[in-house]
Amino acid sequence: MSRQISRRTVLRGLGATLALPYLEAMNGWTAMGAPAEPNAARRLAYFYVPNGVHMQDWTPEATGAGYTMPFLLDTTLSKFKDDLLVLSGLTLDKARANGDGGGDHARSLSSFLTGRQARKTHGADLRAGVSADQIAAQKVGITTRFASLELGIDKGMNAGNCDSGYSCAYSNNLSWRSESTPMAKEIDPKLVFERLFASPGETSAARTRRESIRKSVLDSVNQDANSLRAKLGATDRRKLDEYMNAVREIEMRLNKVENKTVSAPKFTPAESIRPSGIPATFEEHVKLMYDMITLAFRADLTRVATFVIANEGSNRSYKNIGVSEGHHELSHHGNDKAKHEKIKKINQFHLQMFAYFLEKMKGIQEGSSNLLDQSMLVYGSGIGDGNRHNHDELPILVAGKGGGSIKTGRHLRYTKETPLMNLHLSLLERIGAPVPSLGDSTGPLKDLS
Amino acid sequence: MNSGFHNYPRTAIAILFAVSGLVTQGRVSGADPVANYDADVLPVLKKHCFSCHNEKKPRGGVVLDKYKNLTEIKKDIKLWERVADNLRTGDMPPAGKPKPTPKQLDVVNRWLDSQVFEFTCTGDKDPGKVTLRRLNRLEYNNTIRDLLGVENNPSEEFPADDVGYGFDHIGDVLTMPPILMEKYLDAAEDVLEAFFKNRALVNKHLKLANPSIATKQDITRIFSELGNRAYRRPITKDEVAKLEKLSDSLINKGEKPIDGLKAAMLAMLVSPHFLFHVELDPDPNSTSSHDVNQFELASRLSYFLWSSMPDEPLFQLARENKLREKGVVEEQIARMLKDPKAKTFTRNFPEQWLQLRNLKTVQPDKTMFPTFNDQLRDDMAREAEMFFEHITKENKSILELLDSDYTFANSRLGRHYGLKMNGYQEEFKKVTFTDNRRGGVVTQAGVLTITSNPTRTSPVKRGKWVMENILGTPPPPPPPNVEELKEDGKALTGTLRERMEQHRSNPNCASCHQKMDAIGFGLENFDPVGVFREKEHGKTIDPSGELPGTGKFANPSELRKLLLSKSELFARCFTEKMLTYATGRGMERADNCVIDALVEDLKKDGYKMQDLIVAIVKSEPFQKRKAKRGPKT
Repeated sequence: MSRQISRRTVLRGLGATLALPYLEAMNGWTAMGAPAEPNAARRLAYFYVPNGVHMQDWTPEATGAGYTMPFLLDTTLSKFKDDLLVLSGLTLDKARANGDGGGDHARSLSSFLTGRQARKTHGADLRAGVSADQIAAQKVGITTRFASLELGIDKGMNAGNCDSGYSCAYSNNLSWRSESTPMAKEIDPKLVFERLFASPGETSAARTRRESIRKSVLDSVNQDANSLRAKLGATDRRKLDEYMNAVREIEMRLNKVENKTVSAPKFTPAESIRPSGIPATFEEHVKLMYDMITLAFRADLTRVATFVIANEGSNRSYKNIGVSEGHHELSHHGNDKAKHEKIKKINQFHLQMFAYFLEKMKGIQEGSSNLLDQSMLVYGSGIGDGNRHNHDELPILVAGKGGGSIKTGRHLRYTKETPLMNLHLSLLERIGAPVPSLGDSTGPLKDLS
Repeated sequence: MNSGFHNYPRTAIAILFAVSGLVTQGRVSGADPVANYDADVLPVLKKHCFSCHNEKKPRGGVVLDKYKNLTEIKKDIKLWERVADNLRTGDMPPAGKPKPTPKQLDVVNRWLDSQVFEFTCTGDKDPGKVTLRRLNRLEYNNTIRDLLGVENNPSEEFPADDVGYGFDHIGDVLTMPPILMEKYLDAAEDVLEAFFKNRALVNKHLKLANPSIATKQDITRIFSELGNRAYRRPITKDEVAKLEKLSDSLINKGEKPIDGLKAAMLAMLVSPHFLFHVELDPDPNSTSSHDVNQFELASRLSYFLWSSMPDEPLFQLARENKLREKGVVEEQIARMLKDPKAKTFTRNFPEQWLQLRNLKTVQPDKTMFPTFNDQLRDDMAREAEMFFEHITKENKSILELLDSDYTFANSRLGRHYGLKMNGYQEEFKKVTFTDNRRGGVVTQAGVLTITSNPTRTSPVKRGKWVMENILGTPPPPPPPNVEELKEDGKALTGTLRERMEQHRSNPNCASCHQKMDAIGFGLENFDPVGVFREKEHGKTIDPSGELPGTGKFANPSELRKLLLSKSELFARCFTEKMLTYATGRGMERADNCVIDALVEDLKKDGYKMQDLIVAIVKSEPFQKRKAKRGPKT
């Protein structure tokens, strides 16, 4: 058939004509839109890097405020020393084998925000736990148009076995809506933008009509689902429940908009910064995704986000920084000096892009403060050293002052085996979604404020 | 498959192979000697398990020494399934601890199967349980194409479908996060917009010459006609009434009839009856098996071979209740394989089985391998696809996948292989190898490339790939902290082969690496992008080796012959993969009965591809279902 012009093809066309060099365009955004309103809302986001880091050049020696940044942090984040906490000694016990054998990569990502031991399965009875970001989203997401954003770069492995008997769902997903439903990542910045700021060329009347029809449609299919549900056995029901939850979530969002229980975007970005698709290079791609998070936070369309910079176990090569070998391959360095150097380069590169993001966040005023100060941005990996696959002594940073609730500028060392979940517990409290426990947490993390 | 259970019969076969060269059935039959817990099993558990898993020191929370007898053990079946999995993958006992002998392991495994899990192949075979699965991206596109004629890749913006058991359409793994539902709405709106803009399509699929003057009668007719196809079974009166109600309510709000129709069609396209492969059971809480109904069977067939909805002839047979009549399935499969839609099968199955989708993301070093580019990347995938298509359509033996003297290539790929290609041709054609260097999927450039690192080959990855995807005997994962196991703590030195040999000198690594590495080094004549080479870094490559218990080989061609001598293992592995693909679920313990029977028949008839497809369609897992996982009742 002849190809019709659809909403998406229109967008594609627009994208092509508006494909300005994205960095330039994005740099201009602080000047655009309405001035930011005072807003005490806190933001929470998690950023995951795979395969551990070169810890010898990550962990500061001294603790407290006067610490010296080691090479990796010094060469990338020195500018943000006062905006950061370096946390040492945190442990992700549920990423360990605990009797389940190989599969550290799958377990690391799936337990990073859940603190739960992933069930070892290629598929049947998939189970991790509800992740910290989703706990926050359920609570604070009520006030924003989107409860949370889940972003990534890698599509997810397309074939084969991801990690030693674990379904690829575990090594691809950081965020889990329920024990058995991972939140799929959006990897195309264009689609993130569209979702946040709607399609170009649609009048608000047209949008209202479309959304009203959608509501009637969802109402009707919900009835279908209900009568189908009664005929299903327990396992199938769980699958249909995912469907029904998804329907409910969209209905809720439409209601929020219709009843005006959420505010309109705090600002609307210029059309010129609309991304045209997935950029050609990894660096541009990552930066553009960081930009999308900054935009979403700035417009207060969501207050919770996760970003998987590369899937756990990623074997990406970083030729642009002189590393031709695969990341995972290198991370099993066998103490080879040359390999150590290359891993450092990759770690440094990832941190540089994080610094780019912090710069953006800090540059956006919000009331008398800035967006970074209002946020709690956790950066790290569920593996310490990629060679040993250890899950204690994890590389963990927290950037941002959490609206004055975190005293940054320090290196804190915790006693051996302090659960990483304790950090999440503390941050959930700060964002207004306190829970008594999370995974293997033993209590809030001390000394953050 | 449930974490390694599937290894069992094949592991057993492999062990017997290695020990005595016997060829045996993997099936546990009633005739096997019955192991006794106290006399045969307990001593092994005592020696190898209890020192860590006892009530005083329950490592990993697992206590194994508290069970007095078989009855108590059976009450804790989930835990013992984990025990079985860990034994079969070799994860337990952990590295550094003494392992049970293969014979002891075999006794324990047989005891677990026959006594604890009470699993036998006598009587009716278990069809297994398919979890309610949604359409994956490919199925969604194809179904929309066949339902409405719209081909604008509507699932382009959906999140990737997660992979389980090697495939991306497994019910247990396909989840539906809210964002996907949002995308379904977006996509369906776009599809309908495109559809209604095309008068010819509207006329063809809705029998409506001018949609703008559609009457209420038209609309009701459309709901039932289209509903029958969208839901892939007769739509019920209630369902039609519900769609009418939706459409009417919008018309009452001031929408035009055509927009009421569109909204109802949107509801169809996001209904669970469209988005899921819905199959119902007479009793949703029973573990007893029953035939799937005719429409469900028609859908299973069409999604197996076309990844799409049934066409009119299949619907017709379902309506007439003829799909189980003698010869009908054979006739339909032959017809379906001739249809261009069968390309979905001949592309989608091999590219997932062979993991060739990873070709899209491999990054061979551009400086070292300048001939590798995106075109060649596509050529490599195309080669495997055409090779597989040829074997399928010509109903050749699946053993040709292991070894053959031909392949398909265009000029670019042909030159990559060092073949003499006259002139330039983008088109692929059948080419014959005369030098015996290559033949079969293992020596195709695609497989050789995805199992390499960006700057070098990885004999381990290649060996592991062959063990997993050809022999069906995946090695257990390496023990954690493997590098630390080296006594002197120094980095390994020397050539790749030398370093691997040092690694193998560690007894913890030796048992698995002996085989993995031998296969991998046997393929060292192929560089990281699959080009044949005699030398590396100026040194002549030594591709010789020995497969433990099977024999020695001097070069890749002899290695291929050795693999071919394992034809039964390969047939089993291949059958298992295809049954997984056909059913959309992982293989479990009970499926071994079916797989064994399929392999036995396949062998009798010369391993013909189409015979296997027919046999799979006729097998219990394809013809029947049950509502609940669990032993048959």
